[in-house]
Amino acid sequence: MRRARPLLAAPLALAARQALAAPLPESGFGMPRDVSADGHLVDWLIHYTLVAATIIFVVVLAVMIWSFARHGRGHLAEYTHGSKASAGVLLGAIGFIAVAVDGNLFYRTLVDMNEVFWNFGALEKDPAAVRIEVNAHQWAWLARYPGPDGKFGTEDDIVTLDDIRVPVGVPVVIQLASTDVIHSLYLPNFRVKRDAVPGMVNWLTFKASEPGEYEIGCAQHCGPNHYKMRGVLTVLTPERYREWVETMSRDARRAYDPEDKEAHWAWDWRSY
Amino acid sequence: MSTPAQVMEQVETQPIHPPPTSFWRKYVFSIDHKVIARQFLWAGLLFLLVGGTLAMLIRWQWGFPYQKVPILGDVFLGANGGLIGPATYQKVFTMHGLIMIFFAVTPVLIGTFGNFLIPLMIGARDMAFPKLNMYSFWTFALSQALVVASFLVDLGTAGAGWTTYPPLATNVGTPGTGQTLVVAALFVTGVSSTMGAINYVTTVIRLRAPGMTWMRLPLTIWGLWLTAILNALFIPVLGSAALLLLLDRSFGTQFFIAGAAAVRGGGDPILYQHLFWIFGHPEVYIMILPAWGIVGDVLAFFARKPHHWYRGSVWAMVAVTVLSAMVYGHHMFMTGMSPLLGEAFMLFTLTISVPSMVVVLNWLFTIWKGSIRFTTPMLFALGTMFVFGVGGLTGLFLGDISMDLYLHDTMFVVGHFHFTMAAASFMGAMTGLYFWLPKIYGRKLDERLGKVHFWFSIVGFTVVFGGQLLVGWAGQQRRLFDPFQYTFIQGLRGLNQWTSIFAFVLFAGQFVFVWNFFKTVFGKAEAAGRNPWEVTTLEWTDTTSPPPFHNFDVIPVVVRGPHEFANPDVKRLLGRDWVGQAEKVPALEEAPAAAAKA
Repeated sequence: MRRARPLLAAPLALAARQALAAPLPESGFGMPRDVSADGHLVDWLIHYTLVAATIIFVVVLAVMIWSFARHGRGHLAEYTHGSKASAGVLLGAIGFIAVAVDGNLFYRTLVDMNEVFWNFGALEKDPAAVRIEVNAHQWAWLARYPGPDGKFGTEDDIVTLDDIRVPVGVPVVIQLASTDVIHSLYLPNFRVKRDAVPGMVNWLTFKASEPGEYEIGCAQHCGPNHYKMRGVLTVLTPERYREWVETMSRDARRAYDPEDKEAHWAWDWRSY
Repeated sequence: MSTPAQVMEQVETQPIHPPPTSFWRKYVFSIDHKVIARQFLWAGLLFLLVGGTLAMLIRWQWGFPYQKVPILGDVFLGANGGLIGPATYQKVFTMHGLIMIFFAVTPVLIGTFGNFLIPLMIGARDMAFPKLNMYSFWTFALSQALVVASFLVDLGTAGAGWTTYPPLATNVGTPGTGQTLVVAALFVTGVSSTMGAINYVTTVIRLRAPGMTWMRLPLTIWGLWLTAILNALFIPVLGSAALLLLLDRSFGTQFFIAGAAAVRGGGDPILYQHLFWIFGHPEVYIMILPAWGIVGDVLAFFARKPHHWYRGSVWAMVAVTVLSAMVYGHHMFMTGMSPLLGEAFMLFTLTISVPSMVVVLNWLFTIWKGSIRFTTPMLFALGTMFVFGVGGLTGLFLGDISMDLYLHDTMFVVGHFHFTMAAASFMGAMTGLYFWLPKIYGRKLDERLGKVHFWFSIVGFTVVFGGQLLVGWAGQQRRLFDPFQYTFIQGLRGLNQWTSIFAFVLFAGQFVFVWNFFKTVFGKAEAAGRNPWEVTTLEWTDTTSPPPFHNFDVIPVVVRGPHEFANPDVKRLLGRDWVGQAEKVPALEEAPAAAAKA
């Protein structure tokens, strides 16, 4: 039965790849579909900034075009180096933009970063959080799960290549490192990314809201095959995720080779 | 106002030297700032063409992946059957960025205009250190030679991206002499820029004509002077980063190497990024401040109206200069920096938008109620305003950490900095070229061809870089040899292809300029005369086109600011709408009093 699995898996993987090669309904001009619990915060800021920038742009352009039409060669230029009043109008407009746009962006971002995206300390204490160590190298993502014993670097660790699976609705905390050059783990559907830097452990967190298969990209130039550093992030229901972890760690324990030093790249989970 | 004693001092410190007569001294190892400016112009334009060609290769790969490159394929990619492979591709985009920034736009915007305009616009006979100026150019030529050499060695030229991040830029990721030569070229060009910067800073401080107070300097000079200060302060930081990287590459040190290749702890890759961006963010202002200055002046000149709130613009540019080094961390939001540090950098980044808006809105208020003449330089100045507006506004997204979680390292970033550093800098440089070429070569560029060139450029830049913003918005990462490996990018094939087609049109349109330029410089266009644009600054009002070796027969005494247009008293007394910076009109001083009485 277990022997048969690769035989079954290969055509399935092939079929999956074929399916993925066809454009998803949501792919196109807009942002990829948001399937995270918190991505809407990023989207809100992006849309807010877009509206603000568009208004500013249109107003400035309208004044420019008005000037072109009305203040051409036939028009006598007004003799002024600017007055207190005109400088006041200018500074007033800028002050308004600074508070309404820049100020709002700054405030919202502080809240979002501290409460969600970079709030690693609190998330780490969440007993339900899924912890994953991701080790990037040219040109693939190695992911390591602690297995049922909850410890990294033991024989029940699950190690995958370009294939990260997480349960839906649970915070995922990733510790990120690299063995060779700088990479950047990029999850477009979850609106997050973080650099994987050799010699450093970085943090990344997100919470999936919808089961399915999504793409993992590399966002930092990492050599000629940077473009191929693509992985798949699968969001599973909690039951299916539990099954997957059990099966995989049983396999892992069986395949564990104490001599294979290359495979033992785990680090002790760092507390934030 | 200057006293006669000050005038005497000027004459003594800046005596008239006889011009050189030998060919070598006149055209090659010249110490004349005007000749050095022309040398920088040619060197820069030549590399602009190289950088542009490389851009076309990138666009070809994104629009028509895995297809034979027309024309260029057989010439440059013969070994690969005319195709671009992933290894070639990374060299192409790396060198596109490096060449455009350091070896094309910098020499044109700073080398050419800085050299040509600083002495002429402040009323000096030459730079403070003319020999240093010559060394600056020839050091720059050496760095260009190193870049050319890097294409010819085994394994080809650099491929680690223009930012040259280690460990990828060390032997861990990019072995071969090419990358080493390019890093060396960066160091050498840094030496050249530093020499130039010291010269510019000193010249503006020491050699201003009598009466040329700080608040009478043309905005172009303010832009170039502040740029020179940034260069003098921060190019050495790039130099140190390049030097340490060279040691890592060639002498086995490990300043920036960590991970599997590190021995006994190794070094810190992030250290390089700090060094690079402490320089790198000022660099984007280095590339835009001269353009801001040029655009500010040209808008006032062709709106025939004084620049609005000149002091506001000057202090805003000073504020941008000061802040520019305090925002660099936004390039590193995703490297794992401390959240507190990230938030501080975000605050400064959002703050820098305030002085930038002062500059742009002052332009707007300048053309408002002006008497606009749509000459080619004016079109380019207005175009700069337009593309810089788009670039600045898209910068709002990227200064923010939350949005960078999604947008960082996507094509959105590429679109943003192309609008500012490429489109705005390029169009700012073109504003300057169309405007000052009559002074540099004594002949005016063809206005009709210039306008054709303008429309190609403004439409081309907007569509091409707008296309980059759109694909970035949809999440497409930068620097992908084949973006369509990703499913979520599949739907962007058409957009990428159309962007490429417009890029080819944009590139083709630039040859209108090449034709115009050669026609003017080598053709028989009629002489432009001293002041063909009827404007107010010293290089137009007080000397010939082109100026003699010693620039001014008599060093002018400046009596007013740089943009005196539309003054009704001048109109009444002189019958024209402008009055030169050094033009003495005794009746004018009495006129305001008379007007007040009436």
